[in-house]
This record gives sequence, structure tokens and C-alpha cells, in this order.
Amino acid sequence: MDKYSSYDDEPGVFPYSPDIDPEPSIEPDHSPDDPHSPDEDHPRSPRRVQGRQKLGVDSIKELGTMQVPEVKSNIHSISIVGQIEGHLVLPPQNKTTKYEHIIPQLVAIEQSTEIEGLLLILNTVGGDVEAGLAIAEMITSLSKPTVSIVLGGGHSIGVPVAVATSYSFIAETASMTIHPIRLNGLVIGVPQTYEYLDKMQDRVVNFVTSHSKITSGQFRELMFRTGELARDIGIVLIGKEAVEKGLIDEVGGVSKAVAKLKQMIADRANNKGVTLQ
Amino acid sequence: MILWTPMQLELVLEGMENMTTPDYCRISHQGVPMLVEKTDGGRKRIARLLSTNPADYLNADYTPGKFLED
Repeated sequence: MDKYSSYDDEPGVFPYSPDIDPEPSIEPDHSPDDPHSPDEDHPRSPRRVQGRQKLGVDSIKELGTMQVPEVKSNIHSISIVGQIEGHLVLPPQNKTTKYEHIIPQLVAIEQSTEIEGLLLILNTVGGDVEAGLAIAEMITSLSKPTVSIVLGGGHSIGVPVAVATSYSFIAETASMTIHPIRLNGLVIGVPQTYEYLDKMQDRVVNFVTSHSKITSGQFRELMFRTGELARDIGIVLIGKEAVEKGLIDEVGGVSKAVAKLKQMIADRANNKGVTLQ
Repeated sequence: MILWTPMQLELVLEGMENMTTPDYCRISHQGVPMLVEKTDGGRKRIARLLSTNPADYLNADYTPGKFLED
């Protein structure tokens, strides 16, 4: 019988010594008593070694080539998600958009010579009136072409932000809720409170009507419409409805939005008399 | 603060009373002034940039919420 045929005496243990003596000069790199596999601690060095990239002058001298510069987009996109956070930090279960970061970003976009357009992506449930209006005012005062696209929802204060851009899109299934502004926290029931609330409402209505095709009367009618929402007075506009009301310019997705932005960038360059490459 | 949102305010503001003020600290990281929040592990998380250079706000390394690698 072949001596290697059975390992069953003691499971897992090879019962015979090898015929060849081990070479004394070779130190085993792994002791069988050590539970670690040597490969865990010291991964084998890969057989293929990545070459170092030749930079600028080196590659021109040695290979006669130039390193192709990294492709940089000439448009930037900002996404407005979750709640637009105001002057108070919201509890951590909220996803928030922070105006203190967005506003300087918009300044940088306006000032940069490389950035030629801004794509604004909205999926927001509204939030702070002041912060939302601040972002909207910033966007509308940019001199560069801006396009917004409402994806899931652009509710409440998301409406002024969506209409602030030069051109706006809404996805077919996206929705926009328009409802009255309510005071939260302690409300003192005096006429001044309601006057103040009315003024807040006017700020929003004025902004929306001056940046979209909807009229003040129509917008207020949507805001105070009864029977559309169970919990709150107001209305939900879905995709095409927002376009029909004149709030948004067109129904479309990201490809349309980017194409529109590119076209606006090209138009702007032509008007300036800059030759396109 | 006036929140204008169709979401239930109870959901949005839940836990507002129990929120603790994080351990904010004003530092300058590679010449960029910022407000960082020290976490339990001793790491620093960016809370807000205080830089006056608008280009810093487009730097992905300085997004609020990012941990600073020392």
C-alpha cells in the first residue's frame, strides 16, 4: 500500500516525514504553529509594478509627448437636498443644505474664469424662508447661465430656488407643494403677527412671480386652495402641471438640462464675440 | 426662524431640545481658517469654513462634515 494513501490516523496531520531533508540555510518564513497566514500581514508584492508617470518637461524631452490635461467640466452643479437650514442647526435626523457653504460657492462660481455655467439640482422639502430666499437671490444675480432641475420634489421654499435660475426643468414625476407659510414656535395672537406673516408670504410671492411666468393672483390662489391637501391648505403640482401653471419652463431630465445649459453658454460666448474653439 | 415645509414640524424638530452644543474650535488648516468640531475619537470634523477666499468653498477637501487628516 502506498504510504501517502491515508491521512486518517490523526485528522489534519500529515503522518510522515518528507524524504528530503530541509535545507538548513533556508529559514521558514511561517511557523505552522502561528495561526496567522503570512499573507495577511505582508501581502505579496504584486508582480507588475506600476511605472511612474513622466511629468511635463520630462515627457516632452524623452518621449516627445505632452501629458494630456485632466478634463475639467466647465459647468458646476450644486444640489439642494433635504431641508434648507436656516439660522438654527436642525436635529441630526434631517438632511440639510447649509446656506453658509452654498453662498460662497456661488461667489466662487461667479468669479471663476473656468466655470461657465451652473446646474442646480433640487430635491428638497423646503425649510427656512430666509435661507431659501438668500440662496435664490444669489442664484438669480449670477451673470453666468444657470439651469435648475427639480427631481423628486421642490416644495415650499424650494419653489423660489427652482425659479431663480435662468431656465428651469422639472422631472415628469417630480412634485412641488405650494402652501401657506405658517409660524412655528410660540405664536402671539395679535394682528401684528399676522401682518408679519403676510409680509413673509409677500416676499416669497414677489420673488416667484418676478422670476417665472405665473402671476401673483394665480400663485396666491394655488397657495390658499382648499381641499387639495388634507393636512394643510395648498396644492401639489406634479411635473407637467408646474409647467402649465407657468412656474417651471419645461418638463425634462438631466440630459435636457445639460443640453440647455451648454446652448446658453454657447449663446453667451457668441454675444460676447468670443470665438468658440 | 420660519420653516416653510410640507413635512410635519414635529418630525423636523424632534430632538431639538436634547441637542448638545458640539465642542467647536477655531483653527487654521493649511492657511484656511475654519470652525471644527472635536469628536470623541479626537478627530476634527469641519463644521464651517471661515475663509474669505471663495475658491476654498469649492475645494472638496473642505466640505463641511469631512474629517481633517493631520
